[in-house]
Amino acid sequence: MRRRLPVLGFAALLALALAASALAGNGGIAPPDSATDSGSEINELYWIVMGVLVAIFLIVEGALAWFILRYRRRRGTPYEAEGPQIHGNTRLELIWTGIPLLILVVLMVVTIVKVPSVEARPSADENALRVHVGGHQFYWEYTYENGVVAVDTLRLPVDRPVVLTLDAYDVIHSWWVPELTGKRDTIPGRTNTLSFTPHTTGVFQGQCAELCGVQHAVMRTTVEVVSAEEFDAWLAQQAGVSISLGEQTWQGVCAKCHALDGTGDYGPAIAGNSILADEAQLKQLLAGGKDDPGVSGYMPAVATGWPEDDRQLKALMEYIASNPGLAPAGAQGG
Amino acid sequence: MAVRVHEAALPTWKDGTVMRWLTSVDHKRIGLMYIWSAFTFFVAAGIMALLVRLQLAQENQEIATQGSFNALTTMHGTAMVFLFAMPILAGIANYLIPLMIGARDMAFPRLNALSLWIYVAGALILLGSFGASGGAAQAGWTAYTPLSGPDYSPEVGQDLWILGLHLVGVSSLLGSINFLVTIVNMRAPGMTWTRIPLFVWSMVAQSILIVLTVPVIAAALLLLILDRQAGTSFLLPDDGGSAVLYQHLFWFFGHPEVYILILPAFGVISEVVPVFARKPIFGYKAVAFSSLGIAFISMIVWAHHMFTVGLGDTLNSYFLVATYLVAIPTGVKILNWIATLWRGNLTFRTPMLFAVGMIALFIIGGLSGVVVANFPVDYQVHDSYYVVAHFHYTLFGGMVFGIFAGLYYWFPKMTGRMFDERLGRLHFWLLFVGFNLAFIPQHMLGLMGMPRRIYTYDRGGVFEIYNLVSTIGAFLMAVAVLLFIVNVVRSWRTGPRVGNDPWLADTLEWYAASPPIEHNFEQVPYVSSHRPLRDLRLRIRAQRNA
Repeated sequence: MRRRLPVLGFAALLALALAASALAGNGGIAPPDSATDSGSEINELYWIVMGVLVAIFLIVEGALAWFILRYRRRRGTPYEAEGPQIHGNTRLELIWTGIPLLILVVLMVVTIVKVPSVEARPSADENALRVHVGGHQFYWEYTYENGVVAVDTLRLPVDRPVVLTLDAYDVIHSWWVPELTGKRDTIPGRTNTLSFTPHTTGVFQGQCAELCGVQHAVMRTTVEVVSAEEFDAWLAQQAGVSISLGEQTWQGVCAKCHALDGTGDYGPAIAGNSILADEAQLKQLLAGGKDDPGVSGYMPAVATGWPEDDRQLKALMEYIASNPGLAPAGAQGG
Repeated sequence: MAVRVHEAALPTWKDGTVMRWLTSVDHKRIGLMYIWSAFTFFVAAGIMALLVRLQLAQENQEIATQGSFNALTTMHGTAMVFLFAMPILAGIANYLIPLMIGARDMAFPRLNALSLWIYVAGALILLGSFGASGGAAQAGWTAYTPLSGPDYSPEVGQDLWILGLHLVGVSSLLGSINFLVTIVNMRAPGMTWTRIPLFVWSMVAQSILIVLTVPVIAAALLLLILDRQAGTSFLLPDDGGSAVLYQHLFWFFGHPEVYILILPAFGVISEVVPVFARKPIFGYKAVAFSSLGIAFISMIVWAHHMFTVGLGDTLNSYFLVATYLVAIPTGVKILNWIATLWRGNLTFRTPMLFAVGMIALFIIGGLSGVVVANFPVDYQVHDSYYVVAHFHYTLFGGMVFGIFAGLYYWFPKMTGRMFDERLGRLHFWLLFVGFNLAFIPQHMLGLMGMPRRIYTYDRGGVFEIYNLVSTIGAFLMAVAVLLFIVNVVRSWRTGPRVGNDPWLADTLEWYAASPPIEHNFEQVPYVSSHRPLRDLRLRIRAQRNA
């Protein structure tokens, strides 16, 4: 009975894994199917490595299990009875040093040969879409070449190379959308790039992968890959409108700590606070952050790196003013 | 005949039972105090892990969120590595090394006591930081800058974390110098370098690693505390410092650190498996020297923890190659253990169960290491739960199972009594099943996109089921550890007494009484192989038959 316990445990887990794979994608057996070439290359590499590893696993664990069963002490054999006193076998040991070395060298070569296709570099491509990614506590700021700014939701055209330029404005973050490709850190003081070409439209979820503070868990991002026409139309439209940016900013930058309705969560309640309608004070607060002595925690300087022309600040104020629950009394507008 | 009159010693403040322990410089007492303290912190850090798992059992829970969650994960990792894993190895090594090499004590007994008490002081500061204003450190056990810097972790908890780690680091350094000097100078007559027990060999490799790499983390922590308190900016990019520099320093220590933890566990397995297989270890020299090989290579692979930093393909490729090389000496050990089982007369007492369980689990951790070391694949799995699963297979499945094998194996030596075999087996099977339930699903979670160190998620379905299973597994593990505590407490008081050598083992510690007398041996036999006790048994049998 005791020996059946782990067997049952594994069977249950295996059943679970199989049910899981039936229910949702691959159930975590491999990285999710990728919408980009570089992501697909990573998946291919993953399966090559896994194939080799599963074979090694079966051989080594198999030998272990077989020896355990085959050479366990028989009834009637005393504990102290010795097995044959074999001290080793140099040839055998050389063989089982050499074979793993060979396998690993093959894996190294296969990997390094594949690297260029994982690290697609369309930087020279004139047609490539360039987007600046700013990692902030606790949101992503996306800036397109024509100056359009988006918070947390990145919109991309299908089948066009994308070059992301990644910076961080406070601590280290890591930009990760598993269904597109692997992650890349955003590190203050250094600029990274990440390139890929999405080849299917759709909505892909991702989130920050490097611990960045109290709200690391909710520093999420959405990538919407749309048709080229839809993308161009959207980009042109965003250049003019600001209220949408204001809403995105409220939701992405403010609401994660102060709640969507501004009634406070990790941070204090701010709905109706007069600073929300005072451009100078609000600008100072957002650009400088706040760290009251005696109060645990602090407000990060969230507006570092915002557009110089205060577009985003104005959009935020416009959104707040249009929202009766948030705006201070007497400052409500259209 | 002259009668010698002993001058009655005046009772001093050192004569109370407790004070005799606290002021002891005996390696066995110091070893036991190390083990008890470390195990206490193991339980504390385990409770933190249970709270983490409770919070993550279902989507959108509110048991420990935000800052308190980050403090739990930070302190769980820190305490497990620095307050449990390193010190319990120091404790076991302290107890065993002099006995295994036939010495009376460590080379520097007072330094030994100093190491212990510096460690306890550091540990109390680290755990006490939960009571500081703003709570314990929250920047992760890696404490990457600038998150751990003055602007983003202004609380005093981070400073206490640095101070505590500094002290624990000094303790490890002093301890490992003591081990090296002891092993080099105090071996029994005839015990050449190819006759020392394999556990002692693993401690040689481990101590060299500690001496070479702990100063590097000490330097990193010094820069960090200067940045926090003295206004410098070595590691703070805003003022011209480098956040990546900290990562290089941290991992130059941090990667060897995992071998600092696993090598002695390898050593334990190399002692336990041959005894319960009734065979010599297969390839003594390969097993001994692969420890040194692992130690050396482990110092040139550090940046495989930094693949997503953007170091470029050339460096990433180098660290991939170096990391794959470290798999070779590790694989050699595993295959040698398995070959030791071949044609043996295997008895599965609790220590052997844990040893074989360790081999089975460490293989999984080693293989998933080949996945994470493959840097394009690491772009997906880095900083995800896949990595959490990987290092728990190496450090819990490998190291902690190895520690339990050792604690059961040497329990009769340390206490003079035998543990309860039935409870021991139950402990093993519960821990084995619980561990796999807890950590197999974490591989899947990582591949599905769950990053480390998040306090909440809002994906239901399979994602939530995996998390729930993982939490259930964690609680099974807790029950298993409780059984161990019950077994130890009960057996220490009422277990059946055993003789010097209940396992018919190979090495010198079994020549001493159980528990050993204060100066260990009245005399030490001449050592003519790496299995002196078996030689002795054979000689006695030959004499009887003659």
